[in-house]
Amino acid sequence: MKGIFDFLSHHLQQFLTYTAFANFTIGHVIMILVGLFFIYLAIRKEYEPLLLIPIGFGILIGNVPFYPGLKIGIYETGSVMNYLHFGVLQGVYPPLIFLGIGAMTDFSALISNPRLVLIGAAAQLGIFGAYMIALQLGFNASEAGAIGIIGGADGPTAIFLSSKLAPDLMGAIAISAYSYMALVPVIQPPVMRLLTSRRERLIRMKAPRQVSKTEKVLFPIVGLLLTTFVVPSGMPLLGMLFFGNLLKESGVTKRLADTAKGPLIDIVTILIGLTVGASTQATTFLTAKSIGIFALGAVSFVIATMGGVLFVKLINLFLRDGNKINPLIGNAGVSAVPDSARVSQVVGLEYDPKNHLLMHAMGPNVAGVIGSAVAAGVLLSFLS
Amino acid sequence: MKKAGFIILLWCIYLPGLQAQSTTDLKFNEILVHNDSGYIDDFGQHSPWIEIFNTAFNYVDIGGCYLTNDPSDPKKYPIPKGDPITRIAPRNYIVFWAANQPTHGIRHLNFDLRESRFLALYDADGRTLIDSLSWGPQQAGIAYGRAEDGSLPWIFLPKNTPNANNNTTPRTSAAQQFQQIDPVGIGMAAIAMSVVFLVLLMLFIIFKNFSNAFIFMEKRKEQKKLRSLRGAGFPPDENLVAVGLAIHLYAKEIQEHEDFILTIKKVSRTYSPWSSKIYGIGGWPRH
Repeated sequence: MKGIFDFLSHHLQQFLTYTAFANFTIGHVIMILVGLFFIYLAIRKEYEPLLLIPIGFGILIGNVPFYPGLKIGIYETGSVMNYLHFGVLQGVYPPLIFLGIGAMTDFSALISNPRLVLIGAAAQLGIFGAYMIALQLGFNASEAGAIGIIGGADGPTAIFLSSKLAPDLMGAIAISAYSYMALVPVIQPPVMRLLTSRRERLIRMKAPRQVSKTEKVLFPIVGLLLTTFVVPSGMPLLGMLFFGNLLKESGVTKRLADTAKGPLIDIVTILIGLTVGASTQATTFLTAKSIGIFALGAVSFVIATMGGVLFVKLINLFLRDGNKINPLIGNAGVSAVPDSARVSQVVGLEYDPKNHLLMHAMGPNVAGVIGSAVAAGVLLSFLS
Repeated sequence: MKKAGFIILLWCIYLPGLQAQSTTDLKFNEILVHNDSGYIDDFGQHSPWIEIFNTAFNYVDIGGCYLTNDPSDPKKYPIPKGDPITRIAPRNYIVFWAANQPTHGIRHLNFDLRESRFLALYDADGRTLIDSLSWGPQQAGIAYGRAEDGSLPWIFLPKNTPNANNNTTPRTSAAQQFQQIDPVGIGMAAIAMSVVFLVLLMLFIIFKNFSNAFIFMEKRKEQKKLRSLRGAGFPPDENLVAVGLAIHLYAKEIQEHEDFILTIKKVSRTYSPWSSKIYGIGGWPRH
């Protein structure tokens, strides 16, 4: 009888050591609270729910404490989460997401007013501003490049580049990028108001002309050849982006385009969100570097917004009245599609209820997608 | 016939691609002819050795190829197929022992490197030469190899490096070099922003001109259409202008009447966070 009791007691004790209660740390608790906050923002505030719900829940999954060695954790070789995380580590998911983005994106606004593409270039200043600050804070060049890309406001690009340049920081970079993308409506408006006068905010722009099908079909082909010939390292992202767009615009591959922008991107979004969230396991995530990355992420978004708005003000100096650009679309040069364009629209309507800037802002917004992918390619070429 | 031609064309495009990803990427990288005290084989012997480098960024299987030290006998040593050790990882190496002891395993060749001053690697057909090497007098214990893996020139190496990089000088990564030269990051910012601007500027220039050309073509098409209509007995320009003006004013009047009528219809497309113009105006997050 005593033997049975000892046996049961021993295994009960062993079972208790396997429970989360026996393994949790204050770090796990903090991260679980962060995950819950993300879920709250997504459900209650409707901030990017399709991204923040998977990421928030992923944070919960990644921070349930466990006894190491049982092939449970995302960093344990052979675990299910580890297999799913492979697509993030090897940069598989981001190009697939870009395929879907390409199949969804209408480049008409850009084609009808090509000068708006330059705003998308100016807003990449956030990337390199953050890069310079990160270097001063003691990050090495590869880490600084990976952190800087947060300023591109493009989650897939940030994951892709950090998986190549600084895999250890990828979790923090991805979380930071997605968090600030969700907070674009909070971060950008004050900067836009600060840098523009009331008169500038009231500028009305000419309605974009109608774009022909030929132009729409040619855009992804020319865009691909042009961008990747200069920056071949941007091929995985740019190739998929323009390929997806050709599927959409060709008009003869509707099924493929529908799959790319529907089920495929949904599946990849689930996988990338969940695994990025789960990669924030407190034991590896809660470091001083992560906090620095979060701070730099916010700074990079502010610099990017400033870059776009100030660039519009600059080129307005050379444009005639009637051709001027409303600087409120400058913020849309970051590639948070379509959130930053929505910010332009909403802020613009505050000052003139009849001045709809959304279509104009979509130009720099999609240019920002191309610009951030090109910037990622440049960083990859120089730093890898 | 056309279909066959198309398939042949595709095949022609594909074949060189296959070559570029295959055994042609293999190169002799380093040899040690007189191995008196260095690297020992799996039988504990100091045998002469040959290192082959896979210059490709993908796996290459050397199995099925031939190694020889006799120009008249290209198939002297057939490297067995199907063995996992003949599969060379990207930018990696395989070492063969050349002491005429083929019974010791598949990496032990049936000739001795000291017998001649020639070495060749042939493809599986036994005719296509992949790489060859000849050398002069060799010193004991000093390897002869490429100064940089896969590249010229061949030199006597300061260190014997079987299964390792020939260049043993400490090297810094591109990122480290960049940081040393540009510790503030201003150079990187300037160069990278210039590249981003250049790429997007090129896109701007092309599409600006393309747009102009397109608008010009559209106008010409309209003019042509107008001319053909006139040719078919349509009224002269003044009348057309009058009719056009009347239609324009009528349309404007309608617009004024309907100025405050706004139709809101929920779009039933699938929502996605990546491109949701459909939620553009109404989908502002609640604060």
